[in-house]
Amino acid sequence: MRRANRWTGGPAVGIAVVAMTLLTASPRDLSAQDSQFGIRGLGTPGRWESVRSRSSGGAFAPFDALSPLMEAPLADISQLTATAAGGTSHRDAQLGDTITKLRATRFPLMGVAGRVAPRLVISGGFTTYLDRSWDVTLRDSTVLRGELERYRDEITSDGSVGDIRLAAASRLSRRLAIGAGIHILAGSTRMTAERRFDDSTFHAVGQVAEVRYDGFGVSGSVLIGVAPGLTIAGWARADNRLRAQVGDSTIALTDLPRMAGAGLLLAPSPRVRFAGSAAWRSWSNAGPGAFDTWSWSAGAEFGSGRMPIRLGVRGGQLPFGPGTKAPTEFAASAGTGRAFAQGRALIDLGVERLERRGGILTERVWTVLVGLTVRP
Amino acid sequence: MTRRRLTLVGAVLLAAACVERLTAPGHCPDFCPSGQITVVDTLLTTSINRDSSYRGYVVSYQSPVMLAAFLPDTTDTLDGRPIFRFNGFGPRLPVSSVDTGQIRGADSARLQLYIVRRDTATHNLRLQFYRLPTTIDTTTTFDAVAAAFNNAQVRPTVYVDTLLAQPGGKDTVTGDSVVVDTVNHRWLLSLKFDAAAARYDGTSDSGAVAYGIRIAADTRASIAFGKGAVGPVLQWYLRVDSLGKDVARNPGVLGPTLANFVFTPPPGPLDDTLAVGGVPSARSLLRVAFPKFIRDSSQIIRGTLFLVPAVAARGAPADSFVMEARTVLADFGRKSPIDARLDDPIVIHPGATDTIKIEVTNMLQLWAADTTHPTVILLRPQAEAQYFGEIRFYPSKAALALRPTLQITYVKQFPFGVP
Repeated sequence: MRRANRWTGGPAVGIAVVAMTLLTASPRDLSAQDSQFGIRGLGTPGRWESVRSRSSGGAFAPFDALSPLMEAPLADISQLTATAAGGTSHRDAQLGDTITKLRATRFPLMGVAGRVAPRLVISGGFTTYLDRSWDVTLRDSTVLRGELERYRDEITSDGSVGDIRLAAASRLSRRLAIGAGIHILAGSTRMTAERRFDDSTFHAVGQVAEVRYDGFGVSGSVLIGVAPGLTIAGWARADNRLRAQVGDSTIALTDLPRMAGAGLLLAPSPRVRFAGSAAWRSWSNAGPGAFDTWSWSAGAEFGSGRMPIRLGVRGGQLPFGPGTKAPTEFAASAGTGRAFAQGRALIDLGVERLERRGGILTERVWTVLVGLTVRP
Repeated sequence: MTRRRLTLVGAVLLAAACVERLTAPGHCPDFCPSGQITVVDTLLTTSINRDSSYRGYVVSYQSPVMLAAFLPDTTDTLDGRPIFRFNGFGPRLPVSSVDTGQIRGADSARLQLYIVRRDTATHNLRLQFYRLPTTIDTTTTFDAVAAAFNNAQVRPTVYVDTLLAQPGGKDTVTGDSVVVDTVNHRWLLSLKFDAAAARYDGTSDSGAVAYGIRIAADTRASIAFGKGAVGPVLQWYLRVDSLGKDVARNPGVLGPTLANFVFTPPPGPLDDTLAVGGVPSARSLLRVAFPKFIRDSSQIIRGTLFLVPAVAARGAPADSFVMEARTVLADFGRKSPIDARLDDPIVIHPGATDTIKIEVTNMLQLWAADTTHPTVILLRPQAEAQYFGEIRFYPSKAALALRPTLQITYVKQFPFGVP
């Protein structure tokens, strides 16, 4: 037994160290910031996918019990399982001829699920619903007291809206599993607005506020085994509104989208799996400058559960951006995983290359992902 | 081994949790927050009311300096004269451990004076000393001692520039000397009073003497003599009777029992205008109706108080003085205790009639932060009764263009949380 531990534990720790080194290693001029497409809107929507699913473009998310996109796959969890994910994004934001290097490290996913009855699995956890971390500087001038006064503004937002999900799933038959969940949206951002005039006669402006957010949503999903090796999935979700409060005052009530999606899983052999999915979200409910979005993904997984290879692509639209057309994004991703401790622990690694375009802004992002799953 | 691996993983995880930050340039309006910092500039022309002036906070004998000036003007001559008195040792002095002797007189005396402020443009500065009645006190006026200043000088005129030009600052003929303190920017004059000038009368005056100084110069005769630690001191060189024989005695130096100055013309009476400065010093109170919309929901980034002089500022041309705007801890009229935390100063130049602009941003920010703080601006000279200078401003009753005005630049509350 001790020999077995040495064989499985050593490489796993090595993979973890390499992964975390990838997460932390970055040039000094990078910074934490989410997509600039989300600055003018509600934020940057999170991706409700485990590292395993995201490494294959998100195509496997409707069939992945550890991805908080759907509840029905939870029905196939046989034992208590906990998972968490982390990722570091290195982003080049190109505005015209100006390229700014930015960085964000996030831990967007954590969850635990376990069987509580022969046909009932429940799960709890959180994921990022909207990321609202950004830091914008602006150099401009204004006429004050008859003089042209130059100034520098810095407006920052640090925080996010989390999606706390309580879900239950049940396999009703060998071919049919269903699930449902409630979503409590909660979070806060610490926002600052600063202005410094070149003329020090004008004192610096510094305003700070803690903005709290809350909302509520429900979701449901179904997983149908059409034939051996062929599964289809469908899901729908409705969130009510996002309330923003500063102190005791409600600052904004923003309608949140309805959304629905479907997926197809094809497993011609135990070592080869293909998946595809699509989703629609009515983000235009959020008001002017917001767009309904379509997104799609396709991916494949090769190899055994011991160390599979995952590949995928995805594309779609972003809900917030300038102009009359939604910004678009396209990403390709790859990854692998490693089981150790007799399959009780899994480390998943992924890397994603993403490009977003909208107006004069183009973002190119490298994201390194690490996921850890434990089955005690 | 397992523990080592876990520690390693934990350390790397902790490192991964740290996030660096840097800013990105905004491209507005497409990639900027919808809310913007909004700056508003407003002129409050009618917010200052119930203003008033008071005089008498610091009078001449309380001043830490003795002002001397002789500045002829087209309308009047500013004439300031230091006066000071030394009490004596009485009629007798000890001649041995068990016996005293009658003081028969003085061989001489040495008077030390500090000139603590002077106009560098002054040329050929001259000091003239007069003996004054020993009855002078804190109520003595210019007119009360005017006759004494018309008597003969008690000793020859001191030509300060000439004395400074002497080797080592010493005049071997007169026995006078001057030491220039370049660190503290003051001159120490040591002047010899001979037997005729240093007349010790121990019988009728108990040895008390009083002197007054007039100054003159080719241009801008205006200086200040020190008081207290840098005040005048007198060293007597006495003759004392000891068994019928005169013996010399040099008792300890004496500090003045009175150090004051008199001057003419006296300050004009207070009227509707807002007076600041002068001797005795005058202060003005301005009560501000601070708008709630600024106080409650905005951030003040600049506040400027505009004051229009009703007349040209008075005073010695070189003696620009600093006027400061302060606020008070409580509004008790002329007895309002001053809030010592904030001080917004501005230099007043005698003769100037330009509109005075004082930056009072810190004060307005204090009022906005502490709504219980009285919104009162107090104007006073920073060094009260240390300059003849005085300025008078139009009050709130004056025409719109002349009354005190506040210009406030403020920032509205940023619309945090608005998508």
